Formats: sequence, structure tokens, C-alpha cells
Amino acid sequence: VARTAGLGAAARERLTLGLPRGRPDQRPGRPALIRTAVVTALVLFALFALPQLLSLYYIDTMTQVAVYSMVALGLGLLVGQVGLISLGQAAVLAIGAWSAARLLFATGTPYPVVLLEAGLITMVLGTVIGLPALRLRGLYLALITLMLAGAITVVLATTNFPNGGHGFLGYNGSSVHIPPIRRPSIASGDPAYFRYSVIVATAMFLLVLVHIRGRPGRAWAAIRQSEPAALAAGINTTLYKLWAFALASFITGVAGGVLAGAVHYLYSIDFQTQDSITLLAVVLMGGAYSLWGAIVAALLYQLLPALLNSWGVSADWLTILFGLGVLQVLTTAPAGLADQVPRDLARLGRFLARRARRPAPAEDGTP
Amino acid sequence: MPSWPDFQPFIVSGLALGGVYALSGVGLVVLYRATGVLYLAFGAVGAMGALITWSLVRAGTPGWLAWLVCAGFGGAVTLAYGLVFGPALARRDPLVKAVATLGLTLVLFGLMDLLWTSSGGESRSISLPTDGHGFTIGQVQVNWTQVIALAAGVVIAGGCGAFLRYSKLGTAMRAMANDRDITATLGVPVRRVEAAAWLGCGILAGVAGLLLADLVALDATTLTFLVISSLAAALIARLRSLAVTFAAAIAVGLIHDLLTPIQSLSNYRDMTPFVLAAVALLVVSRRRVIAMSREET
Repeated sequence: VARTAGLGAAARERLTLGLPRGRPDQRPGRPALIRTAVVTALVLFALFALPQLLSLYYIDTMTQVAVYSMVALGLGLLVGQVGLISLGQAAVLAIGAWSAARLLFATGTPYPVVLLEAGLITMVLGTVIGLPALRLRGLYLALITLMLAGAITVVLATTNFPNGGHGFLGYNGSSVHIPPIRRPSIASGDPAYFRYSVIVATAMFLLVLVHIRGRPGRAWAAIRQSEPAALAAGINTTLYKLWAFALASFITGVAGGVLAGAVHYLYSIDFQTQDSITLLAVVLMGGAYSLWGAIVAALLYQLLPALLNSWGVSADWLTILFGLGVLQVLTTAPAGLADQVPRDLARLGRFLARRARRPAPAEDGTP
Repeated sequence: MPSWPDFQPFIVSGLALGGVYALSGVGLVVLYRATGVLYLAFGAVGAMGALITWSLVRAGTPGWLAWLVCAGFGGAVTLAYGLVFGPALARRDPLVKAVATLGLTLVLFGLMDLLWTSSGGESRSISLPTDGHGFTIGQVQVNWTQVIALAAGVVIAGGCGAFLRYSKLGTAMRAMANDRDITATLGVPVRRVEAAAWLGCGILAGVAGLLLADLVALDATTLTFLVISSLAAALIARLRSLAVTFAAAIAVGLIHDLLTPIQSLSNYRDMTPFVLAAVALLVVSRRRVIAMSREET
């Protein structure tokens, strides 16, 4: 009995840390309007101002940030919304990148179609792998994703990524002049490709937002709190867990497609089991319960190494930092930086406001 | 298709590898049963211990001291982690506890890359004095390190089984595996028993790292993730039975090495532990159980 009560408290704690979802009033209130305005302004800033402000080095970095924000979005969806932990997202990303590269070399279809196809292929593979794995829960599910990712990494090291060769694998080991993976004709330059990737990422975030606000989001929240309770409430837990897996794989596959065009050349050495672990680390640090967390995670994962690199600091310090970050997040701040920083800032703001007008009563608690 | 003599040397090396996997797998299972923590940093700890040993030997430290340092380092790091984060995470889900040890893995990994940079192209290796001596069975050379590796696996698996069954501390560990709260109520010093499990597992990590560095390669990434293989053995045993862990570890080591001479499969032999563990997990979990119990199925 005590156990159930403890579980309930933990679930309540997690629920309050999550996104405000399923509100009774559907009319957008003022905070919602402000939030939409801020997000729109940020997207417009990224689209039009950032490419003007940054050097080519940082534009490339920000393209990677856009790509990995999608990967973090997919993983954050699994971890934060459904409560499943995947230790194999780097392998899923590799599948997406592989499919996109193969399609881009084999066909002349427009880039958005290729992205969609890569996403769908990854989704099908992710679902096929996920279906048997969903019998497992918790620790064992996380470990089986680690095992499958390890197996995929071994296969990739042997097959390599397509580089314009013939046959199903499309790998030409002896070729000297390897053609680069093409980009969309409207976005062949680096700034244009950055804008392109931001637009794709925005679309993916909207896709997830629609899911979270709707029926799947509520089902996922129920599953995350207690699977037996969700089952008892008549939720088809297998369907919704599989749905989450499919959606996360789709997004990661699309991210792989964008990545293929961004880097022009893909190497299997860039998709290691260690990367999956680091990805989970940054997603936990960024905050898995909020969509902002995905962006924070991508900034941690791609922008910080670029900054350290330009300052001449070894990126190994970052690995250490991520490790400490995971320990800190798991022991003290389950909702990550995306939750912790605004909350601490708000607390600081309230503290300062109270200092400024001490005689007046506090106003923030009134409805 | 290669003939029988081609396979013979790989039986020996496979058994040796399996022995080390068994030793690590048993360490993982015992720690998991006693504390509920799946120690995913096992490989990283062993790798760092082996690298420290390499540096010490190069600086002129006598071999036996450097090996002791390796085992001691594993024990010290693991015990420190257990003392700091064990109580803090004691009431959390097994998944959270396991992911937290990935944090330690990343810290150690970063430290290893920082302190023993691989950019120099300098290849490191550890050789134990037992490498040079051995005997032959038929036409196959066997060196004493391989014998020690297999023997260590057998002794540790058997020893741990006996320890858990007959000693007082082992009984306490088994009790804690069943129910931590009731065990504490019965007056067992829970923290101290857990500390003993952490220390033992850490020492095994150091020993496994040293042996693997000698048998396979001294490289941070390889060693860190080679222990995923012993994890596979532990998973096949559902993190429960020491005997199954031992058998599975030997099987993983043998199959991995026996695939080497088969040309079409040779490149894929590193998949062995992953595939075996995945299949085992899926077969064992055929029946879907919904339970609210503390123990995750």
C-alpha cells in the first residue's frame, strides 16, 4: 500500500513537471499567446537573422543543432512523454541517414520526398524492431535497445554508407572521386541549407506538439504514470507505445535525411554506441519533459563542442560534463535544464521583486 | 568452409574470453541482486584500471604492484560511486539507477580520452608474464593467461555461488535481493552489505579490465564496450542465476571466436553477444506480465 502511495506521489510530481496539456479551456489565454509569439519570433530570428550574423563555421554548427534537436525531440518523446528509455537512437539516426543517402544516389526525387521516405523507412524498421521489444519494460527495454543498436553498428561498419556505388548497398570501396550527397536545389549553399533544416525541424516540433496535445499525448501520460492503471482505464497500451516508437523513429529518420545532405559524406565511424549514450545524457540534461529541452539538448550536444573547439579546449571535458550532468539531473533535477533554469530565474525574479517592494503583499499567488 | 584444425585455436581463445565474460557477468549479477543497480560503468572502470596499470608499468613500477593497483582502482571507484549515489538513488526505479551509472561511464570515458590521448598513434598493450609460457594440446598453443582467464571465470562463478549460499554476508545479500526494507528491519546493516557488494564488483571490474586488455586490446572504447558482452551473458540469465550467467558467457565467448575463421560471418562476429542477448530477452519475455511489484520483470 505504501508503495502505491509513493508511486502516486512520484507520478504527480512528474505530471506537474510536464507540459500543460489537456486544459479544460481550449481558448488560447494570454500566456499561450505570448508563448506562441515568442516561438514565432525565435523561428523567424533563426531563419533570417542567424545566417547573417554567424560565420560559415557556426552556420554549419547550427545546422547540426537543428538536426540533433530533431533527434533529441524523438528521444525526449520516448523518455519524457511515454517513459521509455532508448539507448540506441544513434543507430536509428544512422538508419535514417543510410536510407536517405541511398535514395538520393539512386533517384532524382525532390528532397522533401526523400526526407519523407527516409522517415517512413526508419519508422517501419523502428516499429518492426520495437514490436517484440515492447513486451519488455523498463530496464530490459533500455538494454535491448542498447543491444540492437550495437548490432546495427556492427552491420554498418561492414556495409558502410552509400557513396554512389552500385548494388543494393551502393558502396564503392575503391572509388577515388566519391560524389557528395546532394542537397535540395533551392538550398545548396550552407546558409540556405541551414534555413531548410530549421523549417524541417519546426515541422517536426509541430507534429509532436499536435500529438502531445491530442489523444495520444493523454494516453502516453497515463502509460508513463502507471501502465497497469492505463490498461485498466481501457487504453490500448501496446498501440500507443508502438505509436510513440513509430513517431520517434520517423522524426529521427527525417533528421538522418537532413544530416545526410548537411555533411555530404557519411562514415559509419560517426555513429557509435557511445553517441547513443551521450544523446540520452544531453536529453536528460536538457529536460525530457519539455519540448524546449530538445533544443537545449541539441545546443549542448553540437554548439558546446564547436565553441570549445574554437577556444582550443578538448571536447573530452564535455564528455565528463555530460556524465556529471546525468548524475546531477537524476539525483536532484528530474526535469532538466529546460525546467530548472526558468524556475530558478522566476524564483530569483520573485525574490528581487519582493526586495524592491517589501511593504506590498506578494501578488503572484492570486488567481 | 574452413576445416576443423582452423577452428581449434579459436576454441582456446574463445574459452579464455568466455572466462573473462563469466567473471564480469557474475560481478554484475551479484551487484544487481544485492543493490538493484545494473552497473553499466563496469567496462569503463576496468578500462581505466588497465590504462593506469600500463602507465605504472611504463614508469617502472613492478608488475605485481601495478596489477594490484588496477584491481584496487576498480574497487575504489566503484565503492566511492556506491557510497555517494547508492543511497541517493536507492528508492528509484532500476532503470534510473542503471542510467545513472552511464553518467559515471561518460565521466571515466572523458577522463581516459583526456589523459591517454589516442591521437599519438602509439599503440598500448599490457603483457602478463604468463603470456610467454604455455603448453600444447594437439597442435594448439595454449598460454597460461588463457588458462588463468578461464580458471578465474570458473573460480569466481563457483566462489560467488558458494559465498552467497554459505557465508553470513552472502546470506544478507540474498536477503536484500528479496526485500531491502524487511532485511533492514531484521537488523542487517544494509549500507555495509551494499558497500561490500560494490567493492567486490569493482575489484572484479579491475581484474576483468586487466585480463581483457591482455587478451584482446588495451583501448578505452574497446574495453568499455566489450563489457556489453558480459552484460549479454548476465541478461541471458535474467540477472538472476550465476550458473546460467557462466554458461552464457562461455557460449558468447566461444561463438564469437569460432565465427572468426568463417569468412562470410567473420565481420559480423562482434554481433554475437547482442544477437544472443536480444533473442534470449525476447524468448524469455514471451508471456506478457503486468505487475505492480517492486521487481521489474
